[in-house]
Amino acid sequence: MVALTGLKEFFERNSSVEVVIFAGKGGLGKTTCSAALAYHMAVNEGKKVLCFSTDPQASLSDIFERDLFGKGVIEIVPNLYVVEIDADKRIAEYQEEIRNKIKNMYGLDKIPEEIDEYISSTSAEPAMYESATYDAMAELVAAGEYDIYIFDMPPFGHGVRMVAMAEILTAWVDKLTEARKEAQKYESVAATLRGTKISEDEVLKELELIRNKMKAFTDLLVDSRKTAFFMVLVPESMAILDTERALAMFNDLGITLSGVVVNRVYPTDLLNHPDVPEFLKNKIIDQSKYLEEIKQKFGDYIAAIIPAYEREPKGLEMLPRVAEDLMYSKLSI
Amino acid sequence: MFGRKKGKEEKDKKRGGGIKGILYGMAVHGSVTAFLRTRMYMEHLFMLMTLGDMLGFPIIPPYYSLRLLPYAVPNIKSWKTRLFRERDFTDMLTG
Repeated sequence: MVALTGLKEFFERNSSVEVVIFAGKGGLGKTTCSAALAYHMAVNEGKKVLCFSTDPQASLSDIFERDLFGKGVIEIVPNLYVVEIDADKRIAEYQEEIRNKIKNMYGLDKIPEEIDEYISSTSAEPAMYESATYDAMAELVAAGEYDIYIFDMPPFGHGVRMVAMAEILTAWVDKLTEARKEAQKYESVAATLRGTKISEDEVLKELELIRNKMKAFTDLLVDSRKTAFFMVLVPESMAILDTERALAMFNDLGITLSGVVVNRVYPTDLLNHPDVPEFLKNKIIDQSKYLEEIKQKFGDYIAAIIPAYEREPKGLEMLPRVAEDLMYSKLSI
Repeated sequence: MFGRKKGKEEKDKKRGGGIKGILYGMAVHGSVTAFLRTRMYMEHLFMLMTLGDMLGFPIIPPYYSLRLLPYAVPNIKSWKTRLFRERDFTDMLTG
């Protein structure tokens, strides 16, 4: 692994990558990076791109300056599709689907009260939200309609935990399948003795479906040839600490970190400018200390360096600039 | 999960009728019942693993277990009864 001068170089070396995930602490520029990469891939490389936000704070809407939340897949510019999942809405639709299934299966007009209450109560479970988002991601990727998928993960712990959770869930489903098959044996012995046929177990079929869906997605996420994980950080001590922790966690999960993107770096030549105020100069000096630390700790992981901009980097006028800096970084540490 | 097709079984039994029925009764009916009872216990255990949060046992995210809920609907009542109460002689009267 060697330090790169922009993500363009990364994608040239790893042309089979189809899923890109930006992770990191909140507010450091994950969404900006996601949007900028999506913009570059769609506009400059003509790829069909899906940029997906799993962030409940509707941040892609903010960057593209359009209300996208819960609106489904929207084409922003040709080839650039954006979707911001409204997990609550998705959960509600899913619960309705389960209710209808029960009604159809048993020819009921109304769901028995206690079952109905149970279904409603599941939306309060914290993991429900993550599962719904993860499921949405898995479904979009499985449909395979795009050349490249860019996931803007919610602040770090949350985001990577989804991968860990998928592993636990897969193990859980495996155990269930085993228990189910064991139970089926008794039914099949009874059926044989009675001389009747055993009915096919719908539950096993469902378990299989769930398992395959999760496995396909988890396998994809841990396959470094197909999935790239980037951590976004800024030259500040907390972000550095967080990135170190993330690296350890990635290793535990069997995920390869593809690189770190250093964001919001003040160009050091500003120091030579006579009219730069003391305030900013101090910040730049402060920052150079952290940049040095970043270089020591993540040296070869550094994949791109994005400068601090004079304006907030959002909207379709600013995105090309960010994309340019993300793909071909001019700064170096 | 779980509903076995009683209607069909009964029809089969009638069709077989006569001697076959008697032989069945003498030879294997007892073990069939035992197997089916075990099957039901396992069914209840399975429901505890998937829908335990319905009774207050925390389980892994209900997102996927909701998919299994429709199949469990017919057994929920007996499951709750069995888990929450020891069987006693009144069960013999009420079934």
